[in-house]
Order: sequence, then C-alpha cells, then structure tokens
Amino acid sequence: MIEVSRFTKRYGEFTAVDDLSFSIGPGEVFGFIGPNGAGKSTTIRFLATLLRPTSGEAWIAGHSVVGDPMAVRKVIGFMPDDFGVYDGMKVWEFLDFFAVAYEIPVKHRRKIIDEVLELLDLAHKREDYVNGLSKGMKQRLCLAKTLVHDPPVLILDEPASGLDPRARLEMKALLNELRGMGKTILVSSHILSELADFCTSIGVIERGKLLAAGTIQEIQRQLRSHRVLKVKVGDASTARARAVLEDDPGIRSVDAFDHTLTAEFEGQDEDMGRLLVRLIDSGVAVQSFAEETISLEEVFMLITKGIVN
Amino acid sequence: MFSNNPVLSRELLVNLRSTRAFVMQGLYASFLAALVYFSWPGGDPEWGGAVRQVSPGVARLLFNLFFLGQFFLVALVAPTFAAGAITGEKERKTYEMLLASPLKPLTILVGKLLSSLSFLVILIVSSLPLMILCFLLGGILLSEIVRAYLILILAAGTFGLLSLACSSFFRRTSSALVVSYLVILPIALLCVAVTRNDDSMTRDFVSIAVLPPWCLAIWTLVVVVVNRRLLRPPDVGSEGNEVIDEAEEMKSAIGVVIDRDLFPDKLFAPAKRTDLMPDGTNPVLDKELRSEIFSQGTLMLRVVIQVSMFISIFLMAVLLFWRPDWAGYYVAYVITFNLLVGPVFSAGSITQERERKTLGLLLTTLLRPGTIIRAKLLAALRVSTVLTFLLTEQLLLAYVLVPNLQTRFWTLPVYLLIIATTCLATTTTGLMCSALSRKTSVAIVTTYLVLFALFVGPVGLKLYMRDFVESVSESKLSAMTISSPYAAALSIVIPPDKSSMVGTYAAANTPPVRFPGGFAIPVWGMFLMFYPLLSGVFYIIAYVAFRYRWWRAGGTS
Repeated sequence: MIEVSRFTKRYGEFTAVDDLSFSIGPGEVFGFIGPNGAGKSTTIRFLATLLRPTSGEAWIAGHSVVGDPMAVRKVIGFMPDDFGVYDGMKVWEFLDFFAVAYEIPVKHRRKIIDEVLELLDLAHKREDYVNGLSKGMKQRLCLAKTLVHDPPVLILDEPASGLDPRARLEMKALLNELRGMGKTILVSSHILSELADFCTSIGVIERGKLLAAGTIQEIQRQLRSHRVLKVKVGDASTARARAVLEDDPGIRSVDAFDHTLTAEFEGQDEDMGRLLVRLIDSGVAVQSFAEETISLEEVFMLITKGIVN
Repeated sequence: MFSNNPVLSRELLVNLRSTRAFVMQGLYASFLAALVYFSWPGGDPEWGGAVRQVSPGVARLLFNLFFLGQFFLVALVAPTFAAGAITGEKERKTYEMLLASPLKPLTILVGKLLSSLSFLVILIVSSLPLMILCFLLGGILLSEIVRAYLILILAAGTFGLLSLACSSFFRRTSSALVVSYLVILPIALLCVAVTRNDDSMTRDFVSIAVLPPWCLAIWTLVVVVVNRRLLRPPDVGSEGNEVIDEAEEMKSAIGVVIDRDLFPDKLFAPAKRTDLMPDGTNPVLDKELRSEIFSQGTLMLRVVIQVSMFISIFLMAVLLFWRPDWAGYYVAYVITFNLLVGPVFSAGSITQERERKTLGLLLTTLLRPGTIIRAKLLAALRVSTVLTFLLTEQLLLAYVLVPNLQTRFWTLPVYLLIIATTCLATTTTGLMCSALSRKTSVAIVTTYLVLFALFVGPVGLKLYMRDFVESVSESKLSAMTISSPYAAALSIVIPPDKSSMVGTYAAANTPPVRFPGGFAIPVWGMFLMFYPLLSGVFYIIAYVAFRYRWWRAGGTS
C-alpha cells in the first residue's frame, strides 16, 4: 500500500533522512519509532506530498508521491504533528470546510459529518467553536478531518503527543477501531508504549537512517538469534530441571539463579510445548514456564545502542 | 530602567547586529548623499569653476525636502517597529514569560520603546552631516535645524508610544499596525500643516511652545495606560486561543457596532452559515468571509471605521465644500486610507495559514492552488474595497450639493475608478508579498514598501526633479507618475468656480502625457490603464510563488 524507495532529504549540509526504504502492506498498522529529530516528520511530510525529496520516490496505493500528488491526496488522510485550527469556526463548519475541499457533494456531506462526529465522540461538541476546544478534542477533530473523504490510508504524525493519559487511551482505542475498519495506518511516535499494542509492524529510525523494519517478531528474531525461556520451579527440583533442559537438543545454554532458570532456546512453539511436557514428566514442579518476550522499549534500546553510544 | 534594561539589550542585540540594519543605514545615507550631490549648485565658469558661495534657494529647498522626507519616514517607520513590539511577544508566545518575570512593566515599556526607535534614531542622526552641509550654503538658520531635529525626535517618540499602546491592545501585529497608522495619520498631517506655515513666528511658536507639551501629555497618558495593561493584563491565560463571542462583544462596544445582517456591514461580513455549503462553493472564500474576518474580534475594524469617518468629516468640509477645487485631495485621503488598511487584509492571507499551522491541512486537500489564491484575493479585495468605499459617500454628497462639482459630474466616476483601481493594487501587492514571505510581519512591511515606492516615490521624484533638473519637460515628469494614484487624482482639474472653466487645464499642475503621434493622455487615464496590467502581473507572481513554494514544493516545515 505504501512503498518508500531510497528517500533522501538534505537541507544544505545537513541530511535529515538518508536513503530510507520500507514498505507497508494493505491493512497493516506501521509504527514509526524514533527519538525527536530522527527524521520521522520529514518522512511523513514527504509521504503527505508536502515535501520534495532530494532524491528517492514513494508510491501510495500505486500513485507516485512525487509525480501525481493529487491522486495521492485523494487516498490519504493526513494528520500533522503540530497543527492549528481556524479561528471563529464551529466544529461542523470545520468539517464541512474540509469535506468541500475534498469535493464531497452536499447530499453525502451531512451524513458523513454526522458519522465522523459520532465515531470520534464529538457529536456533543458540534456547535462549539474549534479554537475553544481542549487539546485532546482538537486532536480528535483533526482525526475526524482526516476521515471525511474515507481514505484507505491514514498518515498520522504523533497523534497522541501532548495528551493526558485518558485522552491517550481514547486515541489508542480509536486507532484500533480504524484498524478494524481495514485502513492502512502509518503512525509515528517517540513514545514506544503507545504503539506496542496495535502495530503489526514497526520501523525504527534514528538520525535519518532506518535501523530496522518489519513485524515485531521479525525484528526480535533479527536482534536475537534464539528465543529465551524462563522456567520457575519448586525448591527441590532446580537441579533436575537443569538436567532435563541441558538434555534437550534445542537448548543452547542454561543459567540458574535462585529457583529460576533462563535458557537460550532454538526451535518452534511445538518444541517448546514438548519441552514442558518432558519437564513435568520428570517430576519437576514447574511453577511458571514462559518465553521471555522483548518489549518495544528494549527493541528500541537494543537497535539504537550501537549508534547512540 | 535605562542602564540595565534586559529587554532593551536583548532587542538591540537582535536588531542592530544584523547585516540588514547595517546595509539599510548605508543605503539610506547614500540615498540622501545622492540627493544633495545632484542638487548641489554647479560650478560657475566666471569664477573659474568654483562653487558659488551662497545658494540660499537650493539650501532652503533641500532643507524642506529633508525635513519633510524624514518626517514621513518617522511616521512610517516608527509604527512598523513599535506596533509589533508587544504583539510580537504574544504571537511568539513569550508574552506570559516576559510578564511573569520580575521586570517592572515600565522597564518593559521603556525597553520596547527605545529598542524600536533605536534604528530610526540612527537613521535620523546619520542625516545630520548632510543637513550641516546644506547649512553651509546659507539661507537656513541654525535654530531652524535644531528645531527640525527636535520635532523629528518628538514625533518619533510620540508615534512610537502610540504604536506601543496599540500593540498592547491587539493580539496581532497587523491589527496593531493599521490602527497605529490611522491614529498617527491625522496627527502627522496636522504637524506638517503647522510646521509648513509660511509665517515663521507662528511656526516657531507652535513648534517650541505647543508641540512639546502636547507630546509630553500624550506620552504620559500612553505610559500610564500601557503600564496598567502590562501590570494586570486582561489578555493572557489561554495562549490567545479564547473564543470571541461577537454578540458579547457588541454589548461592550463603544460607538459603531458591526451587524452582519445590516447594510453596509453585510457587504464585507456576510452572516454566518446555519447549514452546509452548497456544492460548487469555494470553501476558502466562504471561510475567509464568514469566519476569519472577525476571528480576532471586531475591535480593529470598529476603530478603523470610526477613525477614518471622523477624519473624513473634517476633510469633507474643507476639501469638498469650502474649496471644491481641492476635491482631488479628498480622493488622496481615501487613497491613503486604502494604502494603510488594504494590505492588512491581504498581506497575511498566506503567511497566516503558515503561522497558524493550518497550511499543511489545507495543502493536502484536493483544492487547486488557483482556487486558494483566487479565494484569498477576492476575500481581501472585498473587505478592503467596501471599507474604502464607505468614505466615498461624502464624495457623492458633495457632487449632489456643490454646484461646480455638478458641472463636472464626469469626474465622479473617474475618481471612483481611481479608488477602485487603488484597492485592486493594494490587495494584489499584499497577496504577492504574502506568497513570497515567510512571516506576516515581513509581508506587511514589504507590501507597504512596495506601495510607497509605487504611489509616493514617483511624486517625490517628480517634485525633486522639477526643482533641480532643468531640462526635463513637464510631460515627461507626468509620465513618471502614472503609477501613483495621488498623481492620478490630482491630475483631474476642478475649477474653483464656474466662470473660470476655460484655461484651467493648461494651468494644471499635471499636464497630460504626450506621445510621439501627437496625442496626449491625461495622467489619470494612464493610471487606469497601467494598474489593471500591473495588478495582473502581481497576481500571477502570487500564484506562481504559492504554487511552487508552498502548494507543490511544500516548504511548510
């Protein structure tokens, strides 16, 4: 759905984004992660047809971002990270303005505005002035604006920045709902936990370079050549558990600390199940048995460590 | 307050260390030097090429030129710096930080005043050596030079403080600037009228005994008011995002009230929509006229209408009823009004979208650049034209009531056409500058500069050349001024009374422009042909700049 090929943007001597390539399939939710100033917004503005690349190209739904921006504008809904609203306009007028700007005929407009307001829980604010809304409301209004022409692709730059915890959760729920509607979403954030739950894939960018991209599992596999198992056992069975683990062909190494064993493991989920059966069969009192998953924060720290340090 | 003023030192650092300030000062001094050089009395062959020692006539002319020129410079430049001094803090959102600091309001005020006037004072002082050079030619008293500079400094202080007061009352630099100009306009005209008085006794009396105390009174009043406003600011707290309720504002309004449902107000402020826009509406135009115009409140427009009407009543009495042959000067006033007010509505049209961070939203829609630019032009043109034509009702009245205006009734449509063309010129110039600038404040000042160069520059040059360059024909001088609506308005001759109709044309100040084929076109005719073309060019520049700078290249970051 979105295909970026060797996008580079330089401002004089400074290279904001360097040779960036990635692709996002239809229906995916792509999380764009990176610290402030990494080049996220530059990439997003490029995809939103607001920035000319120094070199490189991108296609959204088959349309060239550089060559045919009008076609791209039709299929994307864009929400900038730092946006303003018009003064002296009411919420419905604001949406009407953008609906007209997206050439939606009046007979559909009334229904669309009502639906969008309903979806974003803004129906009760219909007659309020937009410049009087709170930050969270404005953020929702801007999201409403991106939906008036029902685009298959949403490009959202930091949609939850500056929101309080409740508004942030609500924004998350909204994005989940939009994912459920089958939209392809590119969403950026510098706060990792925001994205962890609903992204199907992520891209990590720092200093203009894409350090890793793919599904979270793929990236985890890139980072670690093996999986990590954590097994907690009863008092008496530590030694026996260790023996069983070391016997298994998939286990690379075992560390024991107190009653918890940490094992490096290579194999599929089925192999993991068989290993558990074997542990129990040999009389080990297994209290917990789980694969240690790697959090997005850790992914990020691991990926960026090389460059930052 | 003066010696260790952080506001002052910061502003001076930022303003004066730039190369731009240095270059401007250099250009200004060179320009004045060129004026003196070209008008310097030539060598006399009988004296072996030596300069005639005493040329009182030339010295007097130069002195007047310098004084008047610098007085207008002060009136123009003082507001451009001072009117943005406090609104700039509000726009940059540093206003609350500044107020919350332990600085006293008076310290802030003095710092802002001195820093906004510093550049102006440097310009004025740099002209002093040239003025002394003219003094050597004889014919001017030293006391006159001292008096002239005293008036210039007083004017700079007064205009600067008045602009600061406006700056503290408004939220946007553009509003503060236009109101400052309108407040300063009558004062400046009065000052010039008095100091140009031929009787030197009155002149001295007024400039020494009347002006300074009045200035001091204005200074004190402004300082007290602004001081109070800075100490307990009513306009902080929501980052300038508060919603302005028109109905609520109407209740506390003094004087003119703007009602969207009534004529003529609905001409520039159509009623708000109660339902969706019909298909085929230009959404940008609709938004500009129905929502944006009063988004900062109606205060600016109310002040503009009231002040301009107030001045026009006096001018009407003198220029239309007492001396109908001066009708051109009344039109000149209407032109000046449009020159000052017009750019405010157009010069921000694109830069404001950028500053408010709505440009990104607007540009990713399916709107074509032509649609956006056309909407911006039409909205600004409509507001500026309606406001300006409010001042022409006095003109209509005079043509109905005054006999010798009636006999030349054809001049009325010409005057109206000149005014309408001026509205078009100011709006397209503002739009062009807005598409080329990054900041509204820069766009507005650039617009004023371009318009002054087009409107006032040629007239000044013509007067200078008539005095100092002997071999230029009057027709060529007229041809120079076709870009000035002032020259156009004053080239229409209204006889002082019915009997002297014959021959007035020949005696006119501005003869028609003659062409090689033997035919001649009056200056107003040339003006009316020239400006639609120039406005078209400006509009195309604005379109191209917008399309390639913002719409397609997207330099919005």
